[in-house]
Amino acid sequence: MIELEHVTKTYRTTKGPHVVLDDVSLRFHAGEGIGVLGRNGAGKSTLLRIIGGAEAPTSGRVRRTSRVSWPIGFAGAFHGSLSGEANCRFVARIYAQDIDRVVDETRAFAEIGEYFFMPVRTYSSGMRARLAFGLSMAIDFDVYLIDEITAVGDKPFRKKCGEALEERRARAGLVLVSHDLAMIRRHCTRCLVVSRGALSDYDDVDEALKVYDQSLSA
Amino acid sequence: MSSAATNPVPPNLLRGLWLQAEVVHALALRETRTRFGGHKLGYLWALVEPTLIILTLDALFRVAGRATPVGMDIFSFIVTGLVPYHLFSASARQVAESINGNRALLFYPPVQPLDLAIARAVLEGATYFMVFVLLMGAHALVLQRFEVDDLLTVLWGFGLASFLGASAGLVFCCLGQISNAVDRARGPLLRPLFWISGVFFTAESLPAHIRKPALYNPVFHTVELVRAGWFSTYGPEHASSTYVLAWIGVLAVVGLVLERLVRRRIELT
Repeated sequence: MIELEHVTKTYRTTKGPHVVLDDVSLRFHAGEGIGVLGRNGAGKSTLLRIIGGAEAPTSGRVRRTSRVSWPIGFAGAFHGSLSGEANCRFVARIYAQDIDRVVDETRAFAEIGEYFFMPVRTYSSGMRARLAFGLSMAIDFDVYLIDEITAVGDKPFRKKCGEALEERRARAGLVLVSHDLAMIRRHCTRCLVVSRGALSDYDDVDEALKVYDQSLSA
Repeated sequence: MSSAATNPVPPNLLRGLWLQAEVVHALALRETRTRFGGHKLGYLWALVEPTLIILTLDALFRVAGRATPVGMDIFSFIVTGLVPYHLFSASARQVAESINGNRALLFYPPVQPLDLAIARAVLEGATYFMVFVLLMGAHALVLQRFEVDDLLTVLWGFGLASFLGASAGLVFCCLGQISNAVDRARGPLLRPLFWISGVFFTAESLPAHIRKPALYNPVFHTVELVRAGWFSTYGPEHASSTYVLAWIGVLAVVGLVLERLVRRRIELT
């Protein structure tokens, strides 16, 4: 179970405080597939960081009783001068996983060949996405937070991600930020629309997509 | 750590500590590799800077014909002063910059700000201990003679210097999250300590009216302890472990309280 109670997130800027999330509450259980829609800069990634615990809310509470992943995105928190392998070992260590197993599984999933042993700064964004996604799938989480990872991947990678998520959905939940509506339709049964600091919660994905579409053209 | 604060069921404390130790271990390993060029020999670079400074000072002392206190050769005198001082100042600087230098790692929820600080303090401690062992080892090889009066006191002095630096660094680190001015003021505030912490003199050699105010500086005490432990001809009567521990206690409590306060303000991007 993950629960956000009256969460507000404010960032300090030179022009004064900027409210990204304004008193939002949310509750979901670990098995749910939740799509997150919103315009660029609406606060989707902030929402993921707060759900995962990478950032604390300015006010309000977050409760987690499930194992939640870090927000998996193509930029990631890889160190550019370390190899893909060294980055994987680091993440496996901080999650107390079997390091060799995580490295092998990530390498097999990412399919980036010898690049796996080269510094991450030499990677293209698609290759980073492969590494990040493969690494997250090698660690057992109850809920995966995925932040537009497929946006930079090629078609085979997107297909592979879709299949991996499908397989994982049987035992884990998903919070998926994506502009790929087909992907949200495929993996999610519930949808959040982030707009002007507020969350609208829809049990019907198609309805959410419709409302979101209208808000874009409005 | 955050899970302890947000989880309604308190997790097993021992398991929590073990997991945190794993995180600190992973961070220290990663930092070793990134800082020293990802090459195992790269760690030797950590030795280059203090060695050069020590050799320069050694040469200056000889050219100036300055005498060291009785029973202390110039090299050992400088090393026993410079290494604890550097351990303090490098720990303070590295811990102070631990969040700004590793912000991206906070992306992974198991990594908490305090882990970044602890990992850096551990790494600095290990580095300067190695520096000390290698310099003194090389010196002993050259002289074909090795004498330590009281190794435990030497280690105790290093330990105090390390904790003092780390806790001061934590305070600076947290204040730096509130105000950039603190980050800018840190260097100018700490740098004078190089001249007044006993790297170039001992408490015994100071006139009484200067010694008293000089001993308000806790770093001076750690240098005195290291020298008292190393040289059989020098005693610890001017050094007070209790005084240093009081500084560490106050700085650590203030730092930990500040860490709780600024935690919500830390931004990832």
